[in-house]
Amino acid sequence: MKTVFIDCSPKKRLSASGFIAGFTAAFVAGKKKKEKLRTKADYGRVLEAVKDADSVVFSMPLYVDGVPSHVLPFLREMELYCKESNPALNVYVIANNGFIEGRQNEPLMQVMENFCARSGISWRGGLGIGGGVMMNVMRIMLTVFFGLAILNTILAVVREGSFQAGPLLGFGKQALEVLFFGCGIVAFDLWLAFCINRQKPFGKRYTRVMLPSFVFILFADIFFVIASFFQGGMFRGWLAKKKPAD
Amino acid sequence: MRILIHDRNEEFGQALKEKYDRIIRADGKYAPCQGCFHCWTKHPAACGMKDSLHEICRVIGQADDLVIVTENWYGGYSPAVKNILDRSIGTSTPMSTYRAGEMHHTLRYGRHSSWSVLVYGETAENEKKTWKLLAEKNAINDGFRSSEVSFIPDTEELEARAQ
Repeated sequence: MKTVFIDCSPKKRLSASGFIAGFTAAFVAGKKKKEKLRTKADYGRVLEAVKDADSVVFSMPLYVDGVPSHVLPFLREMELYCKESNPALNVYVIANNGFIEGRQNEPLMQVMENFCARSGISWRGGLGIGGGVMMNVMRIMLTVFFGLAILNTILAVVREGSFQAGPLLGFGKQALEVLFFGCGIVAFDLWLAFCINRQKPFGKRYTRVMLPSFVFILFADIFFVIASFFQGGMFRGWLAKKKPAD
Repeated sequence: MRILIHDRNEEFGQALKEKYDRIIRADGKYAPCQGCFHCWTKHPAACGMKDSLHEICRVIGQADDLVIVTENWYGGYSPAVKNILDRSIGTSTPMSTYRAGEMHHTLRYGRHSSWSVLVYGETAENEKKTWKLLAEKNAINDGFRSSEVSFIPDTEELEARAQ
């Protein structure tokens, strides 16, 4: 069994789509291939990888309620290939959006289902994740915290001459907190991986970061205030009704 | 202000120029959105990529009525039109609020009136269902009070319907 994971984020690295594709792949058995679909230059390579696959998993961000524009021409190329070669291909989709409600991915899921119908390949369902940006920030922070915990442990050994469990225990607590906020994502993702392994339908499922939406909005606002402060947008008419130059 | 976005040829836009305050031709000669959010956090309502969509959100933000003429792609916009919409998120701000019971961004240019889509090309029944949902969600997301989708199988009729 060969499964191709297509990371459709336009970002070069550290994308939420790439992370969740990799996380899912870790629980999928058989031959696995991960491909990035960022530009037209990637189309030929990704299509080649799809040709002998049993299942394809598209992982993508939600852009303006739908599939990002750079992915659409690839879908058309894949449709033409599928109509010509009639492969027995299972398609799964993982979509993530910045808003808290995973259900906001529904139009994207329908577009991907319609793509499968036109291409004559099997739509096996999709997972819509709300709070994708926060999920991504949490996992990056967790990696940083892990690095700091290791560093502090080594420093303690050098300074005190003995092993101190404190930094690693602190990291364990942080990991458990992240796992709590991401428990819905992890649970649904494991279920998706189970379905991919058995090439079974997953249906359309929606999950989110486990926070009440008003708390999530507060965190999202703080995130953008900090980002806009350091990137300077806050001092360039941050919320102003900007007029076009011409 | 009445704004038209279309993915037809130059003549199509020329024939309708009296009917619209601004016509945006989706010719695809621009880069796709890179998801950097700099149109929120670095240079508000402008894109870092200096192509024809550099300030497109400042134009679309002025619309009272937005009309979109697009080919059907799986129940969604053609790539050239979708690219314009993807590059237009600066019509909102990075701050969040609730609209229609869901989380959305606050609107930089306030509320708009109508979001109308004229879809051409063969469109299956399942795709029509998707279109209705998509236009409705777009209208909520971008702060338009109403949404409407019309399916125009005969491209000869497009010009008359877009009047």
